[in-house]
Amino acid sequence: MPFWIEPDMPDAWERWVRATGLHEFVLHHSWMWPTLETLHYLGLSMLLGTVGVFDLRVLGLAKGIAPATLHKLIPFGIGGYCLNLLTGITFFSGFPEQYAYNPSFWWKAVFMAVAGVNVAFFYLSDEFRRVKLLGPHADAPWRAKFIAGTSLSAWVLVLICGRLLTFFRPPFFH
Amino acid sequence: MTPTEQFFDWLEHTDLSMWVRGESLFAFPLILTVHTIGMGFVAGTSWAVDLRVLGVGKHVPLAAMEKFFPVIWLALAANFISGILLLAGYPYKAFTNWVFYLKLSLIALAIYLVLKVRNEVLRHEPLNDEQWRRAKWLAAASLACWAGAITAGRLLAYTFIWLRVGIPGGF
Repeated sequence: MPFWIEPDMPDAWERWVRATGLHEFVLHHSWMWPTLETLHYLGLSMLLGTVGVFDLRVLGLAKGIAPATLHKLIPFGIGGYCLNLLTGITFFSGFPEQYAYNPSFWWKAVFMAVAGVNVAFFYLSDEFRRVKLLGPHADAPWRAKFIAGTSLSAWVLVLICGRLLTFFRPPFFH
Repeated sequence: MTPTEQFFDWLEHTDLSMWVRGESLFAFPLILTVHTIGMGFVAGTSWAVDLRVLGVGKHVPLAAMEKFFPVIWLALAANFISGILLLAGYPYKAFTNWVFYLKLSLIALAIYLVLKVRNEVLRHEPLNDEQWRRAKWLAAASLACWAGAITAGRLLAYTFIWLRVGIPGGF
């Protein structure tokens, strides 16, 4: 059977996830799921409000601000990302089959990978150093703009796929 | 049915309401997605401004932060429209849940605070010590109001008493 089709009985990997303490932890309290969802939403806003704002500056909005100073907000975005990675792993551990057999989940993973490769390229190549040297009112080079555009689009697509998870659930709960 | 229930029942049977609740991926799922993207940009961009006022990235010229306000207004407009559509789909569900009124109040307060920060801080440099202290309180309050609005919004899915007229929520 293809990996994205839900089998009648849980596979070995799913039984393993369901045997973890995290699985027990997330399903044990009724208030846990709404709390995790709320944290996930706060985290995504932190990411969009910092990384997204930085991307918009590189693309040419609010040029009066030097990108390097706006970059000081990025740690909050990383905080939001970590918060969402943790809450995301917890969601998965609670109902693993609801994610693993959901096309929206795999598309979300694809766009997260795109965002990840993009951000790695930005910091490891010369582009970050060049952007950091830009003063107020300076226009970013086209390569940096391309990276910023990719980042912004990838994160919005991650959000879209995340929100649509609910509507592409596999046929049944294990 | 009481006159109120009759009114909401009529509202739930309008074409718009039935379309929102319908099977189309471009109805409820898309509207909800737009509402979430808008949320991220409204709250996130406001937070970026608030964080600057609270002292992160001190070299960013305060006045220049106003350039990001169109992002806030555009996202807010998207959320106003998508919010009205979501409300059209499930009007009774929203209006019979006190958390919905809490969410709207927090959003109204947050918008008021964002405007205060713009008018009294970003457009008002240089500030004296007393004004800075006030500015930081405004920014902290704005931050908290958006976080509260997101929390209340997310909890709407868990706190409603009625799904539709005559159909109770299952909590």
